Amino acid sequence: MSSKYQVWVLAAAVAAVGLSGCATQVKRVGVEEVKDLSGAWNDTDSRLVSEEMIRDSLSGGWLKRHRSAHKNEPVVIVSSVRNLSHEHINTRTFVNDLERAYVNSGDVRVVASKNERENVRSERSDMDLHGREETRKEMGKETGADYMLMGSINTIIDASGREQVRFYQVDLTLVNLTNNEKVWTGQKKLKKEVQNAKFRF
Amino acid sequence: MQSSVSDPKQSGGYGRLFVGLLALFALVGIQGCATHSEGFRSIEQQAAARNIPGAIKALDEFHKTDMTSAHQTLKHLNRGSLLRMQADYTASNAEFDAAKGLMDKLSAISVVEQVGSGVVNDSVKAYTGDGNEQLLVYAFKSLNYLQLGDFDAAAVEARQFDIKHRLITEKYPEAKFLSGAFVRYLNGMVYEGVGEMDSARIEYTKALEGYESESKFTCCGAPAALKTDLSRIELKSPTRRGKSSSRDQAQSSATEDKGEVVFFLHNGLGPSLGENIIQLPNPQPSHGSALLRIALPKFVERPTPVTRMEISSGAQSARSEVVEDINALARKSLEARLPGIQARAVLRLVAKNAIAAEAKKQSRSASAGSQAGALMSLFGAAMDIANIVSEKADTRTWSLLPGNIQLARLNLPPGSHDLKVTYYGANGTLLSTREFKGVQVGPARKTFISDYYL
Repeated sequence: MSSKYQVWVLAAAVAAVGLSGCATQVKRVGVEEVKDLSGAWNDTDSRLVSEEMIRDSLSGGWLKRHRSAHKNEPVVIVSSVRNLSHEHINTRTFVNDLERAYVNSGDVRVVASKNERENVRSERSDMDLHGREETRKEMGKETGADYMLMGSINTIIDASGREQVRFYQVDLTLVNLTNNEKVWTGQKKLKKEVQNAKFRF
Repeated sequence: MQSSVSDPKQSGGYGRLFVGLLALFALVGIQGCATHSEGFRSIEQQAAARNIPGAIKALDEFHKTDMTSAHQTLKHLNRGSLLRMQADYTASNAEFDAAKGLMDKLSAISVVEQVGSGVVNDSVKAYTGDGNEQLLVYAFKSLNYLQLGDFDAAAVEARQFDIKHRLITEKYPEAKFLSGAFVRYLNGMVYEGVGEMDSARIEYTKALEGYESESKFTCCGAPAALKTDLSRIELKSPTRRGKSSSRDQAQSSATEDKGEVVFFLHNGLGPSLGENIIQLPNPQPSHGSALLRIALPKFVERPTPVTRMEISSGAQSARSEVVEDINALARKSLEARLPGIQARAVLRLVAKNAIAAEAKKQSRSASAGSQAGALMSLFGAAMDIANIVSEKADTRTWSLLPGNIQLARLNLPPGSHDLKVTYYGANGTLLSTREFKGVQVGPARKTFISDYYL
């Protein structure tokens, strides 16, 4: 192969590699497909937490105890999940999963949270002014919650050079609003080892 | 037995290919003959005139001609600073976040950039910020969150800073100027705000140690307010509570029932880098570059106009203290990096000289009077010019950092307050007065406000 030909082949290869990165490419992937890019908290972690919490919470003894004592479904309000971690984590994803599982199970009733309530009340006030009388909803008929769900997400990160070990612990607690008793605590721990690249192009 | 003599035609082809590649590198490296800091003047002028949208537009224009992504981090850092000046804290954090991501990603070694830096100049390498700049991003992100009233998010930055600081000091154990004292002081306030008193005490203690180690080369030691914070928080610790006098405890709780305005001033513009050129004619110009030249960055300190500020509301007032002497830290950082920069510059000089020598050798070996010979002579001359023009100091720096940061703290009863802030220059001359109306102060809470003066 002549040197001139070699240069042309090399140039074509470089151009092909270069041009392949020019266009934005999008492809649909399954929501359960695990894809770790940076090692930070991601959708897979959120899903693992929600699966564990739903399983643990709905099979917990607190539900049976409430039913036998009150003969009705418990009403839960979701408070805040404090992010005490090293990352900006959206905790609403797994909390919403848990809320949905409660509602769909038919075993637990969920009432609107503090922020949602304010919106609903404002809508009701607006309805009072503008809605037809037979369709208006009265104030003061809200359902009070029996339990409040709260929690925190904590991390421990050990880093040296290009290596990191990330440990996440998510704790959720259901507190009886009458007597402050903790009736259920759920916990999920995740550990990741992240090795950052030493070289790049 | 195979002959070891190479085909002159083929070696000439490789030589030309090599020189061609060098020319490509040089083209990327020499885009615009002005140094980075010179090209940045108009952006700074717009910011000084408080025309932030104009400054952002000028910044985007400035980076429009970038042929590589080597300056992307710098662009995000400066955009983040401008958006912060514009009080668009959410957008500012998005820029700082992008900069942080790039700093981490670009910390991996790029072979292409290393080669480029070896034969063109250091500006070919992707900008990742010096250690102090990398630490300050956390402070500015945290301040943005605090000014948005999101203490939990600011605490996330404080925790991230701790890891970053550990990694940086692990890499540069001798760099005492990388104590991150100011960021730790700020983090102490953040941790207090989210009720993590132990973490706050640790941060205040480390900040105090950091300020003490920095005081050898900065303008000022630890701020008096930090020492007060540390004593106050130590009074609260379970082991100390029993030992402190009841008067101390009563005084501490009376102060805490009030709220506090924490006012930061970003004073002046931080360091800029100029260029020091050392050049001499080559005694053997036919066997290398005609001119032997190296360019090194030099520190250019810009004035910090405000010597002190005073904030007041009604009869209550407080004076400022310098909490971060960015100019001094940047000077120290450059001093620490300079031996490496000098070594690279000398190696580059040797490499460029060898390449020029090779180009000239090729032109001599091509038959005289032929078209190829004339072309190669031209190439040799072009290499001389390319070597001179491409040798530039890397003067990139986070130019929109302030020269120093001043802090004033004022205890006020809960409620709405009108604040007056007065800036004084050298010899106590009045520079400017600004008013901040309707500042909301909550009980036992800190309200964070900031301003800048260029």
